[in-house]
Amino acid sequence: MANQLLEVNGIDVSYGDVQALWDVSIKVEEGTIVALVGANGAGKSTLLKTISGLNYAAKGEIIFSGKPLKNLKPQNIVDRGIMHVPEGRRLFANLTVLENLRLGAYIPRARASFAESLERAFTLFPVLQNRKNQKAGSLSGGEQQMLAIARALMGRPKLLMLDEPSLGLSPIFVRTIFELISTLNEQKATILLVEQNINQALRIAHQAYVLKTGKIVMSGAGSELLENEEVRKAYIGERIRRRQR
Amino acid sequence: MIDRILLYIKDKRHVNIYITFLGVLIFAIIPLFTDVESSYFIYFLFLTFVHIVIAQGWNLVAGYAGQISLGQNAFFGLGAYTTALIWLHDITKTGYYFDPVVMILSGLVPVVLAIIIGIPLLSRLRGDYFAFGTLGVGQIIIVVFLKARHITGGADGLHIPSTVYESMMPYYYTGLLLAFFAIAVVYFITRSRIGLAMRAIKEDEMSAASHGVYILKYKVLAFAAGAFLTGIAGSLYAYYLFHINPDSVLNMNWLFYPILMCVLGGTGTIMGPVIGALFMTALFSFGDVYFAQMHPIISGVLIILVMKFMPNGIIGLKDKIFSRG
Amino acid sequence: MSFRLIVQVLVNGVLFGTTYGIAAVGLSLIFGTMRIIFLAQGAFIIFFAYISYWLLTLLGIDPYLSLLIVIPVSLLLGSAFYYGIFKEAAAIEDKNISLLLAVGLMYLVENIMLVVWSPDPRSVVTPYTTLVFRPWGIVVPFTRLTALFIAILAAVCVFIFLKRTLIGTAVRAASEDMVSTTLMGINPNWVNAVAFAIGIGLAGVAGVTLATIYPFDPSYGFVFAIKALIALALGGIGNVYGALLGGIMLGLIESLGSFYIGGGWADAISYGVFLLVLVFRPQGLFGGSIKKA
Repeated sequence: MANQLLEVNGIDVSYGDVQALWDVSIKVEEGTIVALVGANGAGKSTLLKTISGLNYAAKGEIIFSGKPLKNLKPQNIVDRGIMHVPEGRRLFANLTVLENLRLGAYIPRARASFAESLERAFTLFPVLQNRKNQKAGSLSGGEQQMLAIARALMGRPKLLMLDEPSLGLSPIFVRTIFELISTLNEQKATILLVEQNINQALRIAHQAYVLKTGKIVMSGAGSELLENEEVRKAYIGERIRRRQR
Repeated sequence: MIDRILLYIKDKRHVNIYITFLGVLIFAIIPLFTDVESSYFIYFLFLTFVHIVIAQGWNLVAGYAGQISLGQNAFFGLGAYTTALIWLHDITKTGYYFDPVVMILSGLVPVVLAIIIGIPLLSRLRGDYFAFGTLGVGQIIIVVFLKARHITGGADGLHIPSTVYESMMPYYYTGLLLAFFAIAVVYFITRSRIGLAMRAIKEDEMSAASHGVYILKYKVLAFAAGAFLTGIAGSLYAYYLFHINPDSVLNMNWLFYPILMCVLGGTGTIMGPVIGALFMTALFSFGDVYFAQMHPIISGVLIILVMKFMPNGIIGLKDKIFSRG
Repeated sequence: MSFRLIVQVLVNGVLFGTTYGIAAVGLSLIFGTMRIIFLAQGAFIIFFAYISYWLLTLLGIDPYLSLLIVIPVSLLLGSAFYYGIFKEAAAIEDKNISLLLAVGLMYLVENIMLVVWSPDPRSVVTPYTTLVFRPWGIVVPFTRLTALFIAILAAVCVFIFLKRTLIGTAVRAASEDMVSTTLMGINPNWVNAVAFAIGIGLAGVAGVTLATIYPFDPSYGFVFAIKALIALALGGIGNVYGALLGGIMLGLIESLGSFYIGGGWADAISYGVFLLVLVFRPQGLFGGSIKKA
């Protein structure tokens, strides 16, 4: 019986006067991949940012490993074991690959196993080892994404949150990234994934939630939702409606 | 008809107008009750009026366009020097003392400077950069005025013959008029489309841009309007001081006071700078009596305290108190 | 125009420019993390110049030795000021608040010094104050040469710290992307405090070396603050290494300006260059583009 690693219950999040999330609840079981899907602006990134402490939740609770997490400072949340790879990767472009990785292992408990984590990172991402002294900004899009994920792993997180890892990548890299996510999960990583690429995301997710204008409208196993007529219709319908505007 | 007037007055939004008119009325009749020439109170009020004008000047650019100007002293000094120069060279030959033409001209010279430096500084630069740009300009002006001895009299400056001084009354009333004018300018700009645009810019420049607000035009307008107000204040002050030099009209105090007053009272509000001006002038007058050199230190401490604990000024404090209800 | 004269002018510029340079490096660090230009830097520089002066006058401590006291004190003072005054403001989106805090602090420190220590200029005078070297007939005062070495040493120490230590790397990261830095588990206040402390520390170094070269008084703080700012702008506001070069450039500009045009106009030239750079090349002569916060 797997553990409930993360539990988000009924949170409300607003940006100033504009409410972005309404009574959102999700659960992430240890050792699983959970996907958050939905159209642009549905609030997926907002949810991740709230979990990692970048946004303020006015209502509700967030429980991680049995302890409350809501509205803690981001650096404390990292310490508890959540690493968030934000949308757009946000690497330190002027720092080298190695320096980026070092910063990923900044917190004391990660620093202690830096050497080990580094080796694992280089094994998973050989290209990073080749470029370890290059500035992060000089890497290609796909390599940057790998670095971003590697950097997050350096923090030895219990939960890895990825915001749109396939964004802006070539199809080959997209496949690579999703394979990577699966691999990581096979190696016992728990991953909360936000994706626009619904097909791929649902394919590898054990559990998935569909967000629409700040509310969870559907949830279920990844494979289930993939087959679900409504999801397919809503997803495509959403796209058509957008084009008509 | 009376009902409508009463309703108008009772409307909370018009309280400001009500207070202003009442205030003007009160201040207008005060001189009837005191010996104007020897009263310190009258002098204090005169100074307050000047301060109100320069505070509103800074308020326009900082409060509504969101840019910090660190060069207001340049505008003040320019206004003062323009008046002195016009007077000395008898350019207008009108013979009036408080010649409105002269004052307006003294206000326009800083406007020209504001536009010249405002366009490049505001178009490319943001926030901090604009602040330093104005700082740099202010310093350049000081150096230029110090050096251009044959025009500006260098460190010694210019002297207007003080034999012209007859009475404090015209100073007082002109000051009152200018203060009222400054408040009115801010009021009308705030209420107008320009004010709306400026507030939009201040709140979020990027989305304002996407809404088609021509940002640069409005920022420069705010800056120029502020320069105008500061310039005419300088003009009035020149008439009072008679002896203008860089140390008296271009010094750091004129840079700093408008900031302090707005910050104290509430930047971006109509009455905030007025309250701030009153408070600060009173504090300094009081301070001068008891601890002469302390007031610059007190202003420094005040700014820090205000920024830390009530960044919205006194007016913001009132809002905070009343919103708890 | 004799060659020697020109070299002399250039040498003067470089010698003094490094002092501007380290003040600018301090400003750059503070800007990088907190995104404000710490205008009170100049006031602090003069403050430490006074400290050096009093250490000499009251306790007979040689200015260069006084650095051993001034540097730790300035680092501590820097952290104290950050936590005491700037911490909350640093988190706010509106940077004007922090800017105004700095302006207020500048006014405060300068005027306290005026009241407590009077506007009379002070000089730090030691047996070697008048010592002068004359390589190839170029006049190189000992104090200025030492100031150069100290400034370069300080800058090198800072650069090594930034490049080779984990905290330094964190500061560089924070200068680039503070949000990302917090996602690494790094406390932004800690990073800001470190940058701020170093900034004040460099002010301490600049102050002590300044004291040995020029007579100073409280109002010089404001002037120096602007000079440091100009140096920063020349070097590129986002660029810590460029700041040092910017200082040297400013020193050269001033030196050449004083020589060819003389007197107070040299200041106006510096301000003029400043404005030109701000308007036409905001990234400075050496800087890359400004990284977003």
